[in-house]
Amino acid sequence: MVFLRLAFTNLARHKTRSVLTMLGIAVSAAVLLSILSFNKGFHKGLERELQRTGLHFMVVPSGCPHEVASLVLHGSVIPKFLDLSVLEKVKAADDIEFASPLLVSQLPNPEEGRVDLVYGMEMQKIGLLKPSWEIDGKIPEGENEVLMGSEVASHRGIKPGSTISYPNISRTFTVTGIVKKTGSQDDAFIYIPFVTAQAVFKKPSGATAIGVRVKDPALLTKITDALSEKVPGIQIVTMNQVMNSIANLAASAKALSLSMAFVAIIVSGFGVMNSMLMAVFERTQEIGMMRAIGASRPDIFRIILKEAALLTMTGSLTGLFLSVTGSGLIEAFVRKVMPYVPGGNMVSFDAGIALLSIAFISFIGILSGLYPAWKASRISPIEAIRG
Amino acid sequence: MIELAGVEKIYKRGAEEVHALRGIDLVISVAEFVSIVGPSGAGKTSLMHILGCLDLPTRGSVKIGPMRAEHMTEKELVGTRRKKIGFVFQQFYLIPGLSVFDNVRLPAVFSRRPAQKGEIESLLEMVGLQNRTHHLPGQLSGGEMQRVAIARALVNTPEILLADEPTGNLDTENSEKIFGLLKSLHLRGYTVVMVTHNQELAGRADRVVTLKDGRIVKS
Repeated sequence: MVFLRLAFTNLARHKTRSVLTMLGIAVSAAVLLSILSFNKGFHKGLERELQRTGLHFMVVPSGCPHEVASLVLHGSVIPKFLDLSVLEKVKAADDIEFASPLLVSQLPNPEEGRVDLVYGMEMQKIGLLKPSWEIDGKIPEGENEVLMGSEVASHRGIKPGSTISYPNISRTFTVTGIVKKTGSQDDAFIYIPFVTAQAVFKKPSGATAIGVRVKDPALLTKITDALSEKVPGIQIVTMNQVMNSIANLAASAKALSLSMAFVAIIVSGFGVMNSMLMAVFERTQEIGMMRAIGASRPDIFRIILKEAALLTMTGSLTGLFLSVTGSGLIEAFVRKVMPYVPGGNMVSFDAGIALLSIAFISFIGILSGLYPAWKASRISPIEAIRG
Repeated sequence: MIELAGVEKIYKRGAEEVHALRGIDLVISVAEFVSIVGPSGAGKTSLMHILGCLDLPTRGSVKIGPMRAEHMTEKELVGTRRKKIGFVFQQFYLIPGLSVFDNVRLPAVFSRRPAQKGEIESLLEMVGLQNRTHHLPGQLSGGEMQRVAIARALVNTPEILLADEPTGNLDTENSEKIFGLLKSLHLRGYTVVMVTHNQELAGRADRVVTLKDGRIVKS
């Protein structure tokens, strides 16, 4: 206990230096913990989105199928379209439960200086396409009736029964229902009937993609192989493949971020070493005195190492606090820079990850304290006392 | 009893050899009060370090009780310092962040000996600092700090008390008090060896050993 108090008081002697060193550790701990927590949250979000969709695969125009599929999820203008004749062929294939065309695009409203993300879908199949949705209001029945995602509705103060106008296309839509918050990209769309979308976007025989659900998911590979052979000019992307390619993208970003975090940790480790070495040099006489009054070399080694450990542990815990309190900022940043981010909380804190991060950084910190501790233990008491 | 025979100490400063001690023969009896005097560079501190097992002679032998210091391992030297020797330094060397109580307790901590609260309090009472237990060194005067250092030197109940210029940083009044304290410890049975420049205080010891150029010129 006296050793620990000794370590604490020694660190307190040079508050600025100790606080700066500790902050270096805290920042690297926060970065590491955030990256690991973000990664976990990202995967959870992807899984959640996968479970929410009522589709097993998407039929998309040939090209870059993963990009098209993720853009359908994310919402963007896609320059390629499928001919609707494909829909009939897909529907006619064996073991298909249902197939439904999707037309996703952006609808500008120059008067309000806004661009809306519009998702054309067959409203009568909404229960199959989006089984997890809860709707406040009713499902559109007419061609000028729409559903609205919760985020876009709350942003514009729209309630069921409100109307939205697009003078540029001479259309006024009645919002019949609001999709309750899903925590996903679904919250940001306006959902219009598929036929209306075809008319609005002037694609009378086109679709961005066709969402398909099969009767038996165990036969998925067999079904998709057969379909690819039967219908030329299409590509099939299963929802698992979409999620995997997004996860792979995220994994590359994670690898890069982790490398940077490791560099930060190593740098903060050198910070600890530097700080401890300075403390040892400054306290040479004191260390000599301790040797004279009975401290052995291992005692001195332990005292200095405890200081390094105390500094590192405090830094790690501060980093944990910073990471938890700053997770909102990190999430906002990630949502801005990543091409696709699943909905819900991105940063998922986990006691295991926190403990692992703290243990790792503490290990690096203690490792950095070894050399100063060894150096201190080699101080000759005579030289030290003589000054 | 401490017995030095033919002790020489040579330090190397680059290519140069410095003869700090040259053929020192000295016997210090149990419960004796010896003061060591001499001009700067005479070898007083080097002799003190050898007596305190902080350093070993280049040649010659040092007996602390039945043990020969030059044959001791590092562990045995540490053990001897812990059990048999108490050090008092001119600069006090108290740890600023620790209370008076914890400073005094420190050697017991190093010795893995759980010093009782009462034991430390009675030591502080003996040096007249019973009301300063929880003060920090920065809140004490020079004389008080030296008294804390003496209490610290006694916490492991050593046989020998080595004081290197214990009054060097103190005014006359505090010097008198510290010397009085050392004298009272001697009367309690401690062997006290004191290095000093103060001829008057030195003269009040049982014996005065005078060093010059690393040799004992008077004992």
